[in-house]
Amino acid sequence: MSYTMFSAFEFKRKDTYIHNLDPRTKMFMTLIFMTVALLFTSIVPLLITFIATLIPVLLAKSVKEWLSSLKGTTMLLVFILVINSFVRDLNFAVAMVLRLIVLITAFSAFFLTTHPDDLAQALIQMKVPFDFAFALSMATRYVPTLAREAQTIMDAQMSRGLELQRGGLTQKIRNLIPLIIPLIVNSVRRAMSIAESLESRAFGAIKKRTYLYQLKLTKGDFLFLCFLIMYFVTMIYLKFYFPFTTWMEWKLPL
Amino acid sequence: MVLIEIKNLSFTYANTEEPAIKNIDLTINEGEFVLLTGPSGCGKTTLCRCLNGLIPHFYNGEMEGDVIIDGLNTKEHPVYELAQKVGLVFQDPENQLVSLNVEKELAFAPENLGLPREEIRKRVEETLQLLKIEHLRHKAPYELSGGEQQRVAIASVLTLKPKILVLDEPTSNLDPKGAEQVLKTIKKLNEELNVTIILIEHRLDLILPYTSRVVLMDKGEIILDAPPYEAFCSSIPEEIGVDVPVSIKLYNELLKIGMKFNKVPLSTKDAAELLTEVLK
Amino acid sequence: MIEVADLWFTYPEGTIALRGVSLRIGDGESIAIMGENGAGKTTLVKHFNGLLKPQKGTVLIDGVDTREVSVAKLAKKVGLVFQNPDHQLFSSTVEEEVMFALKNLGFTSEEIKERTNWVLKFLDLEKYRERSPLSLSGGERKRVALASVLCVKPKILVLDEPTIGQDAKQKRKLGELLKKYQEEGNTVIVVTHDVEFASKYFKRIVVMAKGKVIADGPPNKVLTNPTILNESSLTPPQVAILSYEIAKKINNFPKDIVLFNDLLQEVITRVKR
Ligand SMILES: Nc1ncnc2c1ncn2[C@@H]1O[C@H](COP(=O)(O)OP(=O)(O)OP(=O)(O)O)[C@@H](O)[C@H]1O
Ligand SMILES: Nc1ncnc2c1ncn2[C@@H]1O[C@H](COP(=O)(O)OP(=O)(O)OP(=O)(O)O)[C@@H](O)[C@H]1O
Ligand SMILES: [Mg+2]
Ligand SMILES: [Mg+2]
Repeated sequence: MSYTMFSAFEFKRKDTYIHNLDPRTKMFMTLIFMTVALLFTSIVPLLITFIATLIPVLLAKSVKEWLSSLKGTTMLLVFILVINSFVRDLNFAVAMVLRLIVLITAFSAFFLTTHPDDLAQALIQMKVPFDFAFALSMATRYVPTLAREAQTIMDAQMSRGLELQRGGLTQKIRNLIPLIIPLIVNSVRRAMSIAESLESRAFGAIKKRTYLYQLKLTKGDFLFLCFLIMYFVTMIYLKFYFPFTTWMEWKLPL
Repeated sequence: MVLIEIKNLSFTYANTEEPAIKNIDLTINEGEFVLLTGPSGCGKTTLCRCLNGLIPHFYNGEMEGDVIIDGLNTKEHPVYELAQKVGLVFQDPENQLVSLNVEKELAFAPENLGLPREEIRKRVEETLQLLKIEHLRHKAPYELSGGEQQRVAIASVLTLKPKILVLDEPTSNLDPKGAEQVLKTIKKLNEELNVTIILIEHRLDLILPYTSRVVLMDKGEIILDAPPYEAFCSSIPEEIGVDVPVSIKLYNELLKIGMKFNKVPLSTKDAAELLTEVLK
Repeated sequence: MIEVADLWFTYPEGTIALRGVSLRIGDGESIAIMGENGAGKTTLVKHFNGLLKPQKGTVLIDGVDTREVSVAKLAKKVGLVFQNPDHQLFSSTVEEEVMFALKNLGFTSEEIKERTNWVLKFLDLEKYRERSPLSLSGGERKRVALASVLCVKPKILVLDEPTIGQDAKQKRKLGELLKKYQEEGNTVIVVTHDVEFASKYFKRIVVMAKGKVIADGPPNKVLTNPTILNESSLTPPQVAILSYEIAKKINNFPKDIVLFNDLLQEVITRVKR
C-alpha cells in the first residue's frame, strides 16, 4: 500500500516533448504554477490554472500516473473540503481543493517526467554542491528498494505469527519492535555496503568532479519558457489590473 | 611481473578479539586467474578488502604486515588511487548500482577522478562494447535481469581501467544462466585483456576450468595454494568441507578402485572424454 | 496438502508476477521450485501461508481457502523462512528469537520450552542459546532464522533460497536436516537456483518461467530436458552433463543420471564387465 504512494510520484521513462525538456525548465514551470495557485482564492482563475497544468500532463502522456497520484491524496482533499466549508463557506472550500489539486498536478508533472539523475545534474549546474545533489539522487534511487525491504520484513514477521492489531496501545507499540529493529539493521548494513562500493569507485577522489552529461537548454525549452511567461503575465494582469467583479468572481449558485 | 605482494598480513576488526585473517603471504602475477575459496567466515571478504585499501582506510582495526599493489603500499596510498589498480565487485548488485541509468553508472568512477569528458565518453563506450551491454545503456537497474545487473557492476569498475579485478561471490544471487554469463565475461577479460582475476566462489565446478591457481583459506589462514589439479588431488578440500567438483570426485573414486588415468579432469567435458575412452 | 488452481497475481505497480499457476503438493513431499530471476517463485510461496491472497484462482491449504483465514492461523501449519535472515532477526538472544513465534501462536509455556529445546538441538544451535543473533556469522544467522520458524513444527516447511552464501559443508548439513524433517512426515518445499542442491535432496522439481509452471517432475526428467532448461535459465547438474556427454558416445549408457552415486555405480559396473 505504501508502495503505491511512492510509485505514483515515480519517474516513468517515456519519449515525449515534456519528458525531454530540461529539468530546469520544468522546475520553473512548477514554480510558476505554484505561485499562481497561491495568488488566487476564487474558483474561476484556479480552474484556468488547473487546465493550464493539465496541458503538460497530457503532452507527457501521463494521465494515468497523474490520476493515481491524485487518488493517493483523496482523503486529504476530502478533509480540506469539509474543514473549509465549516470554517468559511463552500465556495472557499472548493477553491482550496482546486488549489491543492493544482499543486499536486504541478508537482506530478515535474516528478513523473524528470529522471532523478537529471534532476541531480540540474541542481549541480545550478551550483548546488555535488554532495547534496548526490545524496538526493541516492535517496530517490533507494526509496523503492527500502519500501520493498520494509514489506519483506513485515511479511517475514507475520509468517512468525506477528499480528500488528493485537493488544492495547502499549502492546501495539511493542508489536512494532520486530519490524523496526530489522529495518534499522538492514539499512545500516546496506549503507555500509553501498559506501564500500562507492569508495571502491574513487568516490570523493577530488573536489572538482567532471560530468559525462551536461544539460543544455534547447529550442524546445525556450519555446516552453515563452509560453510559461506569457501565461504568468496574463494571470498577473488578471489579478492586479483587470477590472474584475464580473465573471472572475463567479460563485457557486447556492 | 608481480602485481600483488602480500607480506605477513594480519587484520583484526575493531571491537573483535580474534584476527579475521592472519599470517597471509601471497604473490600474484599479472594475468593469473586465481580462485579463492574456503568455508564461510574464513576471511575471504576481509582479504579482498585489503587489496584496494578499504582495509585499513575504510575499516577500522589492527593491521599488520604489508600489501603492495603494483608497487604501491596500500598503507600509504588512498583508496581512490588503489581503485585504479584494483576493481572490486561485490555480491549484491543492488548496492553497487547507484544511478538509474547504465551509462551514468559506468561514468561514475572516471567522473570522480575528474577526467576530461571526452576521455570518460571513450571509456564508457569501450566498456559497453567490450561487455556487450550497449543495448542496456539507458536502462535503470530494476529493468535489468540479475545477470545483466552484475555485468553492469563489473563494467562500472572497469572504466577505472584496473589491471586487477577482484570479485566477491559475484554470482550467488543469480540464476544459473545469469551466473554463466557473468563468468564468461570474467574469463574474456582475463584472456583478451590480460586482466588479473581474483574470484571468490563456493561453487567450484563452474570456475575450475578457467583458473590457473586455487587458493584455499580456513580460519583466517591460507592453507593451500596450488594449481587446480594439484589442489583437488589432496584431501584438504574435503577435510575443510569445500565442495569438490563432480569430475574430480569421480576421478578420485575411480582411482580408489585401481583405475589409472594420465590426467586430472578439471571440467565435466574433460571427465566425459576420459570416461568415454575407458568405457569404449 | 496444498492445492493451487489457476492462480494470478499482479503487484500494485503493474508487474504480473503469476499468470495462471496450478499445482498440487501432497503431504510429505519434498519439492524444489526453480526458475530464472523474476519468474515468480517468491510470489508463489507467499501465497502458501496467506501473506498474499489470490487475485484470481484459489489456494487451498488442507482444503481451507487462504482468503478465509489469517496469516497467523496459517503460520501454525505453513512455516515460511525468508531468504535473508536479517529480515527477521531482532531479539537479544537466540533463545528469545526462537520463542517469538511460539508466543505469538499461543503455545503454553510447557510447549514453548520443549519446542525451543528441540529445535536448538535439531539445528545444532544449543551453544548459541544466550548469544545475540546479530553477532553470529552469516551461515549461523541463517540457521537461527530457520529455527525461529521450524520451532512451530509446521506440517509444511517452505524455504526461500536457503543455500545462498552457504559453504559446501553447511549446504550438506542443511540438505540432510531437511531430508530428516521430511521423512518425519512433513512437506518440505525450497525455492532455489542451486541445481546441485535441488537434484541431490529433492524428489520433485517444479520449474517456473515468466509467472507460469512450465515443468513438474522428478529431477532426472526435468533437469536433463534441454527445452525446459533453456526456457527457465537453468543449467543441468554436473552429473547430468557427464552422463549426457558419455551417452552420446557410448551405446545404451543412460543419459539422465543426476545422482553422483548412480553415475559412479554405472561406470564401475561397466568397467568391471
Ligand atoms: N565489518 C566487520 N566487523 C567486524 N567483524 C567482521 C566484519 N566483517 C567480517 N568480520 C568477521 O571476520 C571474519 C571473516 O569474515 P569474512 O567476511 O572475511 O569471511 P568470508 O570468508 O568472506 O565468509 P563468507 O563466505 O560467509 O562470505 C568473520 O568472523 C566475521 O564475523
Ligand atoms: N513487492 C513487490 N512489488 C512489486 N513488484 C514485485 C515485488 N516483488 C516482486 N515483484 C516483481 O514480481 C516479479 C516476480 O518476482 P519474484 O520475487 O516472485 O521472483 P522470483 O522468482 O522469486 O525471483 P528471484 O529468483 O530473483 O528471487 C518480478 O518481476 C519482480 O520484480
Ligand atoms: Mg564473504
Ligand atoms: Mg525470490
